[in-house]
Amino acid sequence: MTYVLEARGLAKTYDTGGAEVLALRGVDLAVERGEFLAIMGPSGSGKSTLLNLLAGLDRPTAGEVRLDGDRIDRLSETELARLRRRKIGFVFQFFNLVPNLSVLENVELPLLLSGRGRKQARASAVELLSELGVGDKRAVAPALLSGGQQQRVALARALANTPGIVLGDEPTGNLDSAAAREVLALLRAARERGRTLLVVTHDARVAAAADRVVTLRDGLVSDETELEPARPVALPFESAERP
Amino acid sequence: MTTTLLKLAFAGIRSRRLASGLTVLIASAAAAAIVLALEVGATGRDPWQRTFDAAHGAHVLALVDSQAEARRIATLPGVAERDEPLPSALATVASGGDDLLRLTGLRARTRVNAPVRTEGAAPPADGVVIERSFGEALGLRVGDTLRLAGRPIALPVVGTAISPSQPRYPRSKPGLAWVTRAMLERIEPDRRRWSWTAAIRLTDPAAASAFAASLPPGAGDVQTWQDQRAAALLDAQPAQLILTTYTIVLLIVVFAVVAILVGARAAAQHREIGLLKAVGLTPRQITAMFAIESAALGLIATVIGFTVGALLAPTLAAPSAETLLGSPAPAPSAWHLLAAGGPILLVLLAGVRSSTRRSTRFSALHAIQSGARPPTPRSRLARAVARVPLPLALSLGVKDLLAERRRALRLGGAIALTGAAIVFALSMQASLDARPAGEPSDVTDELPVLVYTLDVVLLAITATTLVAVALLSVRERIRDYGVLKTIGLTPRQIASSLVGAHAAVALLAALVAIPAGLGLYRIVYAIAGGDNADLVLAPWWSLALVPIGAPLFVAAVTGLPARLASRIPAADAVRYE
Repeated sequence: MTYVLEARGLAKTYDTGGAEVLALRGVDLAVERGEFLAIMGPSGSGKSTLLNLLAGLDRPTAGEVRLDGDRIDRLSETELARLRRRKIGFVFQFFNLVPNLSVLENVELPLLLSGRGRKQARASAVELLSELGVGDKRAVAPALLSGGQQQRVALARALANTPGIVLGDEPTGNLDSAAAREVLALLRAARERGRTLLVVTHDARVAAAADRVVTLRDGLVSDETELEPARPVALPFESAERP
Repeated sequence: MTTTLLKLAFAGIRSRRLASGLTVLIASAAAAAIVLALEVGATGRDPWQRTFDAAHGAHVLALVDSQAEARRIATLPGVAERDEPLPSALATVASGGDDLLRLTGLRARTRVNAPVRTEGAAPPADGVVIERSFGEALGLRVGDTLRLAGRPIALPVVGTAISPSQPRYPRSKPGLAWVTRAMLERIEPDRRRWSWTAAIRLTDPAAASAFAASLPPGAGDVQTWQDQRAAALLDAQPAQLILTTYTIVLLIVVFAVVAILVGARAAAQHREIGLLKAVGLTPRQITAMFAIESAALGLIATVIGFTVGALLAPTLAAPSAETLLGSPAPAPSAWHLLAAGGPILLVLLAGVRSSTRRSTRFSALHAIQSGARPPTPRSRLARAVARVPLPLALSLGVKDLLAERRRALRLGGAIALTGAAIVFALSMQASLDARPAGEPSDVTDELPVLVYTLDVVLLAITATTLVAVALLSVRERIRDYGVLKTIGLTPRQIASSLVGAHAAVALLAALVAIPAGLGLYRIVYAIAGGDNADLVLAPWWSLALVPIGAPLFVAAVTGLPARLASRIPAADAVRYE
């Protein structure tokens, strides 16, 4: 079987001023297309390192990463950037919207990078922002939005190029309960539209929404649990806007 | 508490090595520029007076036919100091066509109006010491041989000198040279052909004109110190004006550079101030800590800048002095160190006060969470640029740069001033090229060298500023670069965004620099008394090189910071605080 994302013997060592830190010690992981996988574990267990390696944001010390069956850990920085444009959306805990760009420009950016025309990119970004409930905020600077709104914009940016995989590094970690619920609902909605989700989280509610939970401890997979399929979700703002 | 603040300040310097290094780099460049500006300014100030003082110049010079007449003048009432009259004779240079030369036979101890040595042996010496501008006109240097028409004597040129009583050759003829009395007798044995110079200093220098007027008619060629000065300043005025102009330009660029530095430090300190407040430091203690840090960096920068300025100053002072027919200005002193360090330290400390005051307005939590100062609303210019369909990488870079619009304006201003100085130099060169061949000129050969040297200094300061500003931008945007890479920007696009934005600012600045430089040249030309009918400006093709060259220059110097930005690993960058 070909997995959409696969890690084999993945290891990562950091050299922190002479002392070596083993962040990952040989992780094997395979993610099926359309799956929602949650990665849990205590702080320092290697969750974020694993996510960065899977997204090609960092290079492993050993092992390999395959995306749609092709090795990506040997690609150049330029090849990885082009690959991420097409296939991977990324959502961060602290949103990481570009502060000097407006909300609309943040979401337009991946569309323009993938070669869309200016008008087409703008139209798609506006549509996406409206769909995620922040259409009226498109002209403002990200810093002026609430945490929940910023994360919706970040999600819109991650979904702009309709990537096959969406990776999230604690996407609800910096949000209050209501905003976290909204973001979780959006992630599940994206999954229902065919995206593969791989989310690092400490949040039990996020993990509960996943198909499978992988737990890391000390850089190794310590546990793996299949969960019951979750109920279909309605977007929180959809229910308000479209009764 | 003082010890704790000192420890915190020095720990801050160590932990923020890049920021500390950039502060030292920019402040050093500013301090060096101040030292150079002071040195250039000092050279341009009273150049004739310095030469007059060095020569122990004569308040009245009388060139008469007989030694007795010269002695009589030197004993008149009002004379404070005199030398035995000096003999001189006219000769024609064999190797230089019909160039006429006055050879003066010096005694071993000439006290009044002694020639001031500029190169080689001091007069009198075995051989001949020639007046510098005369030697340049004849192409004679130390080690060459001077041959005189009709005389079988070859005189080795052993030195060059200047005199406060001799304006620049060929505007002032005949040329001047000094030999020993014995040599003069060999060159011109017929004493009836000798003239005699009485060089006298008066008890009341202001009475020189009255003294000269009291001499009987037919007393020969009489020159007061005021006459000497007026003739010399005709030569020096264009160069003085240019030096003053460049001093002002250098100081404005320094102001822009330091303002950029202070703004960048304030932005970087915002989050740290929040953290320090959170651990219990009072605003006053925070201000003191940053003041210690800034003062330490400012002192290091002052010493480095002063050393660099002092090392470079002679390179500038030599052509300046030659251009002005003056003696070299005094070397950089403790006063220069104070003048360079004082403003730098004051501005850095004022910047600390301003930034800490601004940041304490926000709550500690806000400062910690926001990571940096909240972004300011977009300016009209930034909104207009956002609507222009630029290539994506360039558009991102320009938006980044305009987010710090004061910094962008100051950077653009520094580039525009440097460009204007280059346009000025091009126009001056065009004027020199337009002179009919062989025509005597008020503009010395050293003047273009001086102007080009000053242009190189300006370019060096601007380049240092550009590298520092680009590195600051990289440091401030590390996290954004990581995010942009995650979204799919390639390393080349990251580098292009930084280089392209700075090059775009340079292009705009260069377009402003052309009219500014031409205007500056017109003003200096008019003040120097140039005739508008003879005004020649730089040709269009050389002006076109400015907007082409400026972006290329900027792209070259921002290339290294851009490469750094493109190489930052995305995973590390998104975690950067």
